[in-house]
Amino acid sequence: MSQRPVYIYLWRDPHGSWPVSVRLLALIPVAVAISLALSAAVDAVALPLFLDTTGTILATALAGPAVGVAVGVLTSAVNTLRNPTFSPFVVVQIIVALYAGLAARAGLFRSLRTAVPAGLGLGVIASLTSTPISYFVFGCTTTGGIALTTALGKALGLPPLGACFFGSFVSDFGDKAVTFALVAAVLHALPRRTAARFPLALRAMGAT
Amino acid sequence: MSALHPFSLLAIAAALPAFAWILPAPGGGLATTLIAMGLTLTPGASPGSTSAGLTPGWRSGLVTFRTALVIAAPFWLFLRLLHDGPTTVAMGLRITTMVASCVWLVAVLSPDRLVEAMVARGWSLAVAYLFAATLSAVPVLKARARRIVEAQRCRGLSPRGSVANRLRALRALALPLVLSALHEVDERTLALETRGLGMGVRRTPLAAPLDRTAERVARWTLLLLCLTALIRRLA
Amino acid sequence: MRILGLDGVTFWYPATANPALENVSLDVGPGEIVALVGRGGAGASTLLLIAAGLAPRVTGGRLAGSVSRGARAGIVLPTPWTQVSGMAFTVWDEVAFGAANLGWPAHEITRHVDRALERLEIAALASRDPATLSGGELQRVIIAGILAMDPDLVVLDEPTAELDAEGTRAVWRLVRSLAAEGKAVLLATSDVDALPDVADRIAWLEQGSVRALGEPSLLAEDAMCDAGLGTTVAGLWHAAGLGAPYPLTVVDAVQRWR
Repeated sequence: MSQRPVYIYLWRDPHGSWPVSVRLLALIPVAVAISLALSAAVDAVALPLFLDTTGTILATALAGPAVGVAVGVLTSAVNTLRNPTFSPFVVVQIIVALYAGLAARAGLFRSLRTAVPAGLGLGVIASLTSTPISYFVFGCTTTGGIALTTALGKALGLPPLGACFFGSFVSDFGDKAVTFALVAAVLHALPRRTAARFPLALRAMGAT
Repeated sequence: MSALHPFSLLAIAAALPAFAWILPAPGGGLATTLIAMGLTLTPGASPGSTSAGLTPGWRSGLVTFRTALVIAAPFWLFLRLLHDGPTTVAMGLRITTMVASCVWLVAVLSPDRLVEAMVARGWSLAVAYLFAATLSAVPVLKARARRIVEAQRCRGLSPRGSVANRLRALRALALPLVLSALHEVDERTLALETRGLGMGVRRTPLAAPLDRTAERVARWTLLLLCLTALIRRLA
Repeated sequence: MRILGLDGVTFWYPATANPALENVSLDVGPGEIVALVGRGGAGASTLLLIAAGLAPRVTGGRLAGSVSRGARAGIVLPTPWTQVSGMAFTVWDEVAFGAANLGWPAHEITRHVDRALERLEIAALASRDPATLSGGELQRVIIAGILAMDPDLVVLDEPTAELDAEGTRAVWRLVRSLAAEGKAVLLATSDVDALPDVADRIAWLEQGSVRALGEPSLLAEDAMCDAGLGTTVAGLWHAAGLGAPYPLTVVDAVQRWR
């Protein structure tokens, strides 16, 4: 079963409808739904996490960064329907997908010991990416929590951009580490038959 | 308003925030905010739009207006906390425009019309399909997540305890949800294949929305205006 | 002239050592209804996927032997909610989904969809949102969706699983009418009692191979009754120790009694 790369044309398609791998068409909406549905689980355990990139990272580990980007963009789009201020952060989702693609290629999902540090690394990169957006578009008021931590940062004497980074860093750091750990757990729990349908998953787990 | 072609609605909803950022503050931001908030007061969702992930029944313009206000208000508060007066007003107006146009778009655009518009124009079926299927899949999985949470609560799950315990509990909630969803991907693939998706054949549009020439002209004009304003601002 | 022919088919799912099907040979001709019976895990679903052209193309795995299919096939899987297209917001659109994907002109699609809705007796549901339907209603919508694509080979996996008695009768009536218009039907079901009136031939699958293949009177044989796969009437007759041949249906039993 070959895993053809997905070329998702946005403009008029010369062939009318490109033969895309149907498995990816089935996977992408489910991955987006996973990202959004996990909020119920997070609320139940009362942890300050979002886990809204779980689907993006999982899809990347299973099928490559192109699919991850598609999932990330769609997750942003659906989030925007609920809260319009999420729209500029689609860039963060894309960066997450690209990073996860590199991590999967390096087989970093093979154990928690490698996945968690990789997630922490992503936390740094994600906050570095979201800080300029937060600063220029929202003046660091993206959420109440970020606004308050930014105010705290300013009070501590940090420059405005630094205070903003401080704000997003605090929430992103743990969130991305937990997400990476969760995706690693899922990959290892996949039954062999399902994992075999996604050849990239085996590489992400360091199995090939 | 809802009789307009979906692409026109998208164009308006994209143009307003763009102008809010491009045009000099605070005049530009004020103008676009007024337009956007005014739009939210126009009659709501088109008839025949169903829930599919969106809150159903946004027929009254007042509800839309209020929703936009409620979402935008906290930003003004926090902006005031962090910045001085002029910056607060400038950014606040921009954010309000963005919020209002998006909230209006969600209320006035029904997903099936947008999907049919994409199919009719010959846009890649993959994009149209993904958009629609995602909107359908989200409520289903959310409901399943709630059921799993309920089931675990009956088994004694509680939001107390150390961080490590809570993380373990999170794992116990998340893993079944994700694994069952992935298993379903297999079944869905089979079902979609047998229904002819991804065959490389041009799909027949079932109910293409009417695209008037005037609307097309208006959309391109809007784009040109945006670009002109952007160039003038940068120059 | 056969619409479907499996010759010596052995099939392995990916990453499994044991074959799911072993040396299966089966033919289905136009206007014929062939029913697969067997315990769970016997390989019926796998055989149906192969018949519909989805295995190994979509499932992966390895197939030995040959499969010949003269025409387009459509399969209805057992769980209706995973088969919803996700792109339709009304039942009419849902049923039209497959036909539209085939690129047919709009009037053709309308004709086929309206006909399918009528045959499944769900025309009243045409403007409902599929997400609000019950399991049984959804099952009928999915079947209608496959019929609207006008396949020559109709493959059904447990078509009456979600349906009540009324719906079940409607589906069996539909299966007979499909065969009457020349389509080939291959189905798997645990509703063995309906088969004497519906199926032309029965195939008994056990552990991936065809243990018996023949007329519906198979369902009254000792071996099948022992396996719990005979019709209810035959099973009762067998359990009561009354003499063979056992009657298949209530009608047969009444005749025998007289």
